Amino acid sequence: MTPSLESGRSFPLATQSRPGRLSARTCALVRQRARSPSSSVSLSRALVSGAVRGTMNIAKQVAGGALRFRAYATAAYVPPASLEGMQRARPPPSKPKPESPSFYTGRANYFDQLLALEKAAKQTRTALQELQILPLPRFAQQNLPPLRGVWKNKEDLAELLEVGLNTSRYRRFIGQLNQLNEYRRLAEVAGHMELAGRIQRVLDMFERENKDAILAQGKRKPVKFDEFGRSYTIGRRKESTARVWVIKAKEAASSSTAAAGQGEAQPPQDAPAVGIPGFTRGPLSMAPTPIKVPTTNILVNNIPLVEYFPHLSDRERIVRPFRIAGLLGAYNVFALVRGGGSTGQSGALALGIAKALAAHVPEVEPLLRKAKMLKRDPRMVERKKTGRAKSRKAYTWVKR
Amino acid sequence: MSALLASGAHFGHSQKRMNPNFVPYAYGVRAGITIIDLDHTLPLLRRAAQVVRGVAARGGSVVFVGTRTDLRSAVRLAAERMGKQGYHVGERWLPGTLTNKVHMFGPEVARDTQVIPDLVVFLNPIPNIHAIRECALEHVPTIGIVDSNVDPRIVMYPIPANDESTRTAELVAGLLSVAGREGVAIYQEEQARAAIAASKRSRSREPLA
Repeated sequence: MTPSLESGRSFPLATQSRPGRLSARTCALVRQRARSPSSSVSLSRALVSGAVRGTMNIAKQVAGGALRFRAYATAAYVPPASLEGMQRARPPPSKPKPESPSFYTGRANYFDQLLALEKAAKQTRTALQELQILPLPRFAQQNLPPLRGVWKNKEDLAELLEVGLNTSRYRRFIGQLNQLNEYRRLAEVAGHMELAGRIQRVLDMFERENKDAILAQGKRKPVKFDEFGRSYTIGRRKESTARVWVIKAKEAASSSTAAAGQGEAQPPQDAPAVGIPGFTRGPLSMAPTPIKVPTTNILVNNIPLVEYFPHLSDRERIVRPFRIAGLLGAYNVFALVRGGGSTGQSGALALGIAKALAAHVPEVEPLLRKAKMLKRDPRMVERKKTGRAKSRKAYTWVKR
Repeated sequence: MSALLASGAHFGHSQKRMNPNFVPYAYGVRAGITIIDLDHTLPLLRRAAQVVRGVAARGGSVVFVGTRTDLRSAVRLAAERMGKQGYHVGERWLPGTLTNKVHMFGPEVARDTQVIPDLVVFLNPIPNIHAIRECALEHVPTIGIVDSNVDPRIVMYPIPANDESTRTAELVAGLLSVAGREGVAIYQEEQARAAIAASKRSRSREPLA
């Protein structure tokens, strides 16, 4: 078990033959050592090397042995020099030693990983210092993009590391991961993508699988276009829901169709166009250029807008997003609306159309946002309360 | 060497709660603090280094224990220097690591690997008194930095020095691990030589073609 420490001797396990008693060799040693000056230290050494097995009361053993060895005092004296070449009992075959240097912590896997992370953090820190990114001035620190780490939870991490994790150890591990994440963000923001990529590869092991989904929570999902270029958006107002498909209107080929249709479609014209009579100079003297108004359709539940919404206010509400964006004749709309009354349905349609326009033409989004067209109106019908005739209306007050 | 020790914030510790067994290693008292005699420390330190070198040269495993936050890195580096024969414990020593190894590491590991180390070095023995006791129970020789409030007999090879100073502990750990590294080198040389001799013997035993 314990290798020899003094000279080249190895003591065979004394208690193999006579358990509970000290062998002749050990007794001789005790005698020898007792004569040396620093007795206390060497006594303990002798006791250890004498391999007294498993007894707590070593002192008693020694005392007993000291009394008992009188019987062995007459054993033959062998001079030490002649013991040098003696054949010893072969030592037991040595077992392999533990691999991990943190084996004796009891949690080798955990500490190996933690130390590896700490080492990576240290290396990254020196690299960032060399690149002069660390330490960061305050204004730069304030303007960094927000950081959010989505790490595995305690159970999954324990499974990954194959070791039991309690909260303090988990938190320490996550602390190291967050530190590395900070350095990664710094590297990314500073443009050192290679370094950021290397750190990311280390961190990938410990991130949750649905990390992207969690990070995208609460964010607006982008509007998708299908293969024909149609957007699909939903608008809601009061109790109504509108499902809106918006597609860009094909521009009519300018000169040919216009020329063809001129004779029939346009109303009978007067003489060749002239400016306003009485003006000889300025813009009003010039002939007006005919404006081509493209025609687009808005279909609601397969019914044209004019039939479905007989009231002007509703129609104006629906067309308002186009007016604000300046895209009056640019898009065709097909919508399915359900629930509520005319106001609710028209409001829902307006919101759906505004969202679609923001998706088709992103430049228009700030205009619509300023006009509050992209906000879902949160006003709903207030409930009736007990003790009141309606939500607010009280019953007639009676004096008695 | 002595100059290094003297400069390393090494001397003197603790008030007059000095352990009476420590008196041989004390130089005196100044301003209520016991001053440790470095003339005693130096040979004991050398002896400890010899022990570490000897253990490593025979293929023994050495564990460095330093359970304070500032000792963690020192202990890890010391273990790294000794390669495969060096181990470290930078966090709390779990009671039962040596005496309850079947429960701690599992029956397969306890049966198939040598769990009991061949030498343990304590950089702060006072908080690890249970670990020292376990080592004594399992007959593992111990080296430790003993302070003036500690009985130096708790470890087999005491090194009387200031246990509160980080630099002292780093110095001692560094010294012992460097000695251990030399021992590891000796062991590896011997192994290589034995391997060559074994291969020669097996070749000579082969029937002549």
